[in-house]
Amino acid sequence: MTAQVAAQDPQVRRARRRRADPLVERRFPLHLEPHIQTIRGLYHQAKSAHWDPEKHIPWAKFDRSQYTPEQLRAAALSWSRRAWTEYGGLPETPAILIRFCLEHSGESDPKMFLTVRGSEEAWHTECCWRFADLVGGYIDRPANAEYSRLFNQDFHREAFEPGISVDAYIAVHSAILDGLDLELNRGFLRQATDPVIGTILKRMVQDKERHVAFGWIYLGERASAWTEAQRAEIAAEIDQALEGLLLSGAICAWLAPDGIARDIVEADGITREAGLGAMHVMEEREIVLQFLAEAREHLARLGVTIADIRDRIHLSG
Amino acid sequence: MSAAIANNLLDTPESRFPLDLGIRIPRIRELYRLATASQWDPQKAVPWEDLHPERYTDEQRYAARLYWSRRAWGEYGAISESPALQIRFCQQKHEPDLRFFFTLRTQEESRHAEVCYLMAEHLGGYIDGPVQTAFQGSVATHGVRKMALDLGIPLEATIASLVCAAEEIAFDVFGHLIKITKNPVARRALKLIMRDEVRHCAFGWAYMEKRVRELTPEQLKGVEEAVVIMIEKVEMNGYHSAWLGPDTPATRSETAADRITYEAGLGATVEEVEKPVFVASVKRIREQMKPWGFTLKQFTHPKIEGAF
Repeated sequence: MTAQVAAQDPQVRRARRRRADPLVERRFPLHLEPHIQTIRGLYHQAKSAHWDPEKHIPWAKFDRSQYTPEQLRAAALSWSRRAWTEYGGLPETPAILIRFCLEHSGESDPKMFLTVRGSEEAWHTECCWRFADLVGGYIDRPANAEYSRLFNQDFHREAFEPGISVDAYIAVHSAILDGLDLELNRGFLRQATDPVIGTILKRMVQDKERHVAFGWIYLGERASAWTEAQRAEIAAEIDQALEGLLLSGAICAWLAPDGIARDIVEADGITREAGLGAMHVMEEREIVLQFLAEAREHLARLGVTIADIRDRIHLSG
Repeated sequence: MSAAIANNLLDTPESRFPLDLGIRIPRIRELYRLATASQWDPQKAVPWEDLHPERYTDEQRYAARLYWSRRAWGEYGAISESPALQIRFCQQKHEPDLRFFFTLRTQEESRHAEVCYLMAEHLGGYIDGPVQTAFQGSVATHGVRKMALDLGIPLEATIASLVCAAEEIAFDVFGHLIKITKNPVARRALKLIMRDEVRHCAFGWAYMEKRVRELTPEQLKGVEEAVVIMIEKVEMNGYHSAWLGPDTPATRSETAADRITYEAGLGATVEEVEKPVFVASVKRIREQMKPWGFTLKQFTHPKIEGAF
């Protein structure tokens, strides 16, 4: 069994995670000096680019009279769903932050960067929630119970699992999942004509660009030291995430099976037509396919080969 | 699955919905808004060129480097440990205001660690650990991560002990340090940290004010015990103030450095001037907690005359 195949076998992965030694923090020596200058630079950039949802989003300028009741209802659902997704960062970022602290001799730059990322995720969640409320009322859960279960992703628990390396975790979450999220949000922004939504999405995209840059920079710094087994682990974790999160419909509602998220897909279509920050299925599909192609190439340059699932995306939705 | 394992937050699977994001504790939501509006950058908010390290002796600079490095280690604890509370707020679906506020709080702790690190650097270089390893036990951890993840420890006990006790003491000491620190850059760094700490403390009291009415007598007892442990085993063990630590060669070395730093006006304090501040702080905390339904015990410490 090759390292790649072994890493993808769920039983092998579970056994590896069980075998891993528990993480025990050794606080000293405590490195606070810059080590990965580019990530320290992102941290400084993030501090300089700080914003305030209260002050920088022109909430009062939203003009309901420009939209039909159907469009407002649709936008409330589209943006509620966006809040459910953005919210995932609130338990996840502190978990991966602590994980970095538990790693021996960990550099301080990722830790400092993650503290700012956490604030930005709170602002994103707040904006999505607040806009949903503004247009018609925030909805606190999906209508379909099966679809709602897709959101229970336990990322915070995964971050603490010693059997998953930090590098694999960052590859999955910062480079791939955040990367795809960034491209989708860029797409929403391109389609948005409402000035309030445009401002929200512009702010979110600016922050998310740093979040994704963090992931790729971190991987680039680490890649030269990876063994074949580590590359295989990273590939396996990414393949698993694409299977369990993307193809399951947790990220793009139109990929959810059996129409469990049909209401979301329909709402997104109406929201898109109203210029309130969503996309049609075809538009999202193009973005996903392009992202996957680019991500595969980027990972290949780091010596990581992931499965090509683009045919399955073509056939879905 | 053993009882011990089942009692850990990380063994509880996520259940995201219903996802309430509304305003449930307005005072805490307001603190989140204030924090969002009050951000600062250690690189820009401090006039580093006014520090003038060349005006101090080598001995003073070294002592101050040690002092500010130790401050950085303490602030780092809030990056390494306290975010576990955020996970608990989310996973146990505590009021959304807590979850929003704590994201900002973690970022603020990072700024505090950074500004302390920069102070040490500008004085000649950050020191990455206690000179004497025996002192590590006093500054390594305040145990909050463990408490936050342990479902057997009520959240209220953790908030009361970490925020309403430990952070409240730190807040009073900051006020004292600002009064006695002569160097304008050191004073500015302390002021910036204190500005954030005001909100951190207010968060704790606002949360407890809401929750304390809903606690059972047994839960309230747990809160009281956690506060006592924080004061006796963490604060009085030298977590924030080295002179309160056990009298060992390591502690004596740290307090000697503090004295040199204090005399140079670069930011530290010393036993004889901090002692009344610490005692008054504990007394104030006791008074403030009385409406919760208990009176904290009297504490004793070999370096403080009489019970307080």
